[in-house]
Amino acid sequence: MASTPSALTMSAAERQRRLELRDLLNAKYKYIDRTWDVVFWVTAIFIVAGAADITKLLFAGDWDFWTDWKDAQWWPVITAFATIIIPSALQWIQWVAWRFPTGATYTCVCLFLASWIGRYFQWHVAETYPLNFVWPISTVPAAIILDWLLMKTRSFVLTSLIGGATWAFMVWAFNYIPLAPFLQPAVFMHHVMTVSDVQGIGYIRSQTPEYMRHIERGALRSFLGETQYVSLVFGGTMAVIGYWIGQFIGRYLAVWPIGRFIKTI
Amino acid sequence: MDSTRGLDEAGGRGPTDWLGGWKTLFVGCAALLAANLFLWLFDYKYAFTIGLNSATHAFTTHYRALFWAELLTNGIFCGLWYGWLIRTGRALENPQAAPREEVRRIAVLWGIIGATSLSLYIEASFWPNWDGAWHQTMVRDTALTPTHIPMFYFFFPLSVVLALGAYIYGRYRIPALYSPDKGFPWSFFLLISAAVLEFMQVAFNEWGHSLWLSEEFFSVPFHWPFVAYGWLASGMFAVWGESILRLYQIEKSAQASEEAPIHSAAAG
Repeated sequence: MASTPSALTMSAAERQRRLELRDLLNAKYKYIDRTWDVVFWVTAIFIVAGAADITKLLFAGDWDFWTDWKDAQWWPVITAFATIIIPSALQWIQWVAWRFPTGATYTCVCLFLASWIGRYFQWHVAETYPLNFVWPISTVPAAIILDWLLMKTRSFVLTSLIGGATWAFMVWAFNYIPLAPFLQPAVFMHHVMTVSDVQGIGYIRSQTPEYMRHIERGALRSFLGETQYVSLVFGGTMAVIGYWIGQFIGRYLAVWPIGRFIKTI
Repeated sequence: MDSTRGLDEAGGRGPTDWLGGWKTLFVGCAALLAANLFLWLFDYKYAFTIGLNSATHAFTTHYRALFWAELLTNGIFCGLWYGWLIRTGRALENPQAAPREEVRRIAVLWGIIGATSLSLYIEASFWPNWDGAWHQTMVRDTALTPTHIPMFYFFFPLSVVLALGAYIYGRYRIPALYSPDKGFPWSFFLLISAAVLEFMQVAFNEWGHSLWLSEEFFSVPFHWPFVAYGWLASGMFAVWGESILRLYQIEKSAQASEEAPIHSAAAG
């Protein structure tokens, strides 16, 4: 069998480590079986979904709750920052534990399920808001691309710079498809506005001042849409910052504490 | 691989059988889901009728009663469970369990951690969604609102009880991992502090709402500290990580003890 260049340059230590890992994989175990995998992957869904959703809800919740809040200026910036943090943490955890480039996708699928459960049972069934007014965004397609970047680059720095910087654009692009129908013009009480504006006026959020005005304010609609692209670039910058906050969580709050103890209390 | 399925020689369940070591996970999650279903149905039935005005007698008989019932339930559960864990744990202290028993205990620990994970999801995602919807549409005239009562005063303290209970379980029953002479594990420190800080943030939140009543934004800055618990709860992954490493150690020692007679026979 011909040796590959990488095999030739592989250090003895690396070769030894690979052999050890292969032994671990092929060993016959008495107590370690698939139930541990099933329990881990299923019960982790809850904490991952909870952490990702609370981060989205409290940093960018208002922009995710309503169609008329999904504006051209703040939505791409705030949402990009809030939604990349926990996927980044899980990218680190799954990469160091199994070399799985799946952490972001796993997180975003968990977040997708949690968001829809919350939006359906709490906003729609309990509070009777129509789902087409309160639907949550999906970050799954963007997460697949983020994981693909990690798999290809094998570098968290490159993944953060390329994936983080384009995260805002990807999240916006993939969610613009369901949002577009609500941005169509409509005439309401002799004013031209969007369908989402009409929703915001029609379904009163009486504890906020927001039902009295348009969410998308000021010059946003008079700059020929240019603000959108400026926001996406700034959102990308914020997402890079969010990515490294997630890396801190993954590295120092999830993995670093393994087997470490506080000696004096 | 030796099977750990089905009834073993002694007629009991194996340490990693679904009805053996993993039973704690199912019982814990079923109890949490049942409690959550009850609280959701309670709110669904009463929130828009009795829950709108905290000055009414009906609000006291329904929602304040529910609030006290939740605190009492949590307190009684905490006292009974911790009491049992410590009392029976002291009897077990020091002697190292046999590998099979230690594996079962790690499975039980994972069961408690799994239930904690579910509780954290319910308090961090399920109820905050209704809380957001409720407070952006309804007048807030009390800290004990219909959505706060299940979220803040049942699931928040319950998560503290579960996280600390998981540590107490490990401290007495899995000394190879969490023996007190090793110190206090960072993993549980982060997980428990996440749950405790979350509860403390409730106080700040209610104080903030009494000060800044005029607008109800969910992403308002004084809500942001709630996010910290979601991040600190990453300590749960460290609990999983260190117990997996312990499982590998148990496997290694089990294999060594099985191979030892063969080697000694060959040597002889």
